Amino acid sequence: MYLGLKEMAHEKLRYALLTGVMLLIALVVFILAGLANGLSQGNRLAVDQWHADNVYLNQQANKSIAGSQLTTDVTKSVTADKLAPMNIASTVLRRTGTNKKINVALIGTTKDAFLIPKLLHGRKPTKTNEIIVSQDLWDRGMKLGDKIKLGQLTQTQTVVGSYGHNMYSITPTIYTDLATVAKIQQGNLRPNQALPIAAVVTAGDSKLKNSSNLQKLSMPDFINHLPGYTAEQTTLNAMIYFLFTMSLAIIGIFMYVLVLQKQALFGVLKVEGIGTGYILASVVTQAIIMSTIGVVVGLGLTTLFGAFAPTNMPFALDFPRLIIDAILLVLAATVGALLSGRTIARINPVAAIN
Amino acid sequence: MENVLELKNVSKQFGSGHVAVTALHDVNFSITPGQFVTIIGPSGSGKSTFLTIAAGLQTPTSGQVLLNGHDLSAQSEKQRLRDRFAHVGFILQGSNLIPYLTVAEQFKLVDRLTHQKFQREEMRHLLDRLDLSKLENNYPNELSGGERQRVAIAKALFHDPDIVLADEPTASLDSARSFDVVKRLISEAHDLNKAIIMVTHDERLTKDSDAVYRIEDGQMTEF
Repeated sequence: MYLGLKEMAHEKLRYALLTGVMLLIALVVFILAGLANGLSQGNRLAVDQWHADNVYLNQQANKSIAGSQLTTDVTKSVTADKLAPMNIASTVLRRTGTNKKINVALIGTTKDAFLIPKLLHGRKPTKTNEIIVSQDLWDRGMKLGDKIKLGQLTQTQTVVGSYGHNMYSITPTIYTDLATVAKIQQGNLRPNQALPIAAVVTAGDSKLKNSSNLQKLSMPDFINHLPGYTAEQTTLNAMIYFLFTMSLAIIGIFMYVLVLQKQALFGVLKVEGIGTGYILASVVTQAIIMSTIGVVVGLGLTTLFGAFAPTNMPFALDFPRLIIDAILLVLAATVGALLSGRTIARINPVAAIN
Repeated sequence: MENVLELKNVSKQFGSGHVAVTALHDVNFSITPGQFVTIIGPSGSGKSTFLTIAAGLQTPTSGQVLLNGHDLSAQSEKQRLRDRFAHVGFILQGSNLIPYLTVAEQFKLVDRLTHQKFQREEMRHLLDRLDLSKLENNYPNELSGGERQRVAIAKALFHDPDIVLADEPTASLDSARSFDVVKRLISEAHDLNKAIIMVTHDERLTKDSDAVYRIEDGQMTEF
């Protein structure tokens, strides 16, 4: 320990550079983790805020909401504590009087559905052509009583309420009734037509009544099959795991080279009766100190980055996860340093006397 | 007086069969406290092998090495490491100082390793004896070659070892400094009652030794 610390204090530049490399790796890990988390939230926040336990999709939909076509009749096939039909469409929002367009996810459900998020302003829609919008739209200047147009619809919609930060497919959400979503998807509706829905969402215990064309999904299963979700998450996580390996390799290689450089000195120490254990401990201490400094500074810079990241960048910090990543990085560096153990053990003190 | 170190019929062979090299052949040697012994021989004569076997860094092919009466070859490697740390001081060719520790820190490290308080007074006493008292806070590269070897002597004597082994301690010094280093080693041996063995190839340095041995082709003879 003493030896390792004193060496670092004496060879500041060398160890500062190595700490810098660790910092860069940590920074990339944390920013990727922030992006993975941001993208994940951007895809699933709307779903999470349903506080639902199961989703029923069309059996032929391959667990993907995008492929699930149902009608409101199917709600009869499901018994549940709480139940709501749900439909979703991507569309474009235009405020009347302006030409500014915003991409939104339009979620349709029934008036008193349990999955409608808790309101922050205004009230729930009570009649057709009333909508509630997410905080993300509120932040862009939308307010109660605003008139907007959705997609190709001719009817004007009125904003009657808003709820918190809520995203689906990396776009802000709007809640409306099932008919409005159906009109966005199909144009005009036939009279007395059963309204199309994509899913039946339930909370609490639920089961299928009898043979039907529905498939019951748990929430994690449903979320993993959201369009693009698993692909994005596995890609980013694979990059993060690869970076753990990199930090192990970089610290491992650097420490190995430094050990080779100091072989003669370590030989002398061994002559004097200082064993492999002590020498290895000082090398490992150095790796732990460098990686800890790198990781802590990296966490600080990432937090700063989070505060100044452009708003259209899906970046969200999940601190418990960052702490785990930080610990893994330090562990990887420690393992890297331990790889020099064999080399240190093999240094023969006899070679120092000649 | 009791022998600090004793080698009895020690032989060392490297390799086997027709490529076998005998580095030491039936060597007998002993040293008592307060004695300064020089071992002289050309390079390749076996004097380094003698030193590594005396220090317990290698085991002899045959024969016995007794440190304070204990047979080193009967001990585990770990035990030998501990004994070396506790009872044997070393002075090596270049200098065995650690480049990133100040003079005082070189001593402090020894105390750290034995988990005891830094014996600053003992260090100062040794440094004073060797005229190094002002250099406590200097790094090795700020010292002259002679000063470095004197620090190495002080470090070897720190914590009262029973024996000090010096491997060509004057190799990197000019003759005036070489004589000075040897003179100091001799006075340390006599004043502090230490057994000191110096291995060298320089015949001129032997004149004040208590005993001089010559090694040639692995055979050791007393002058």
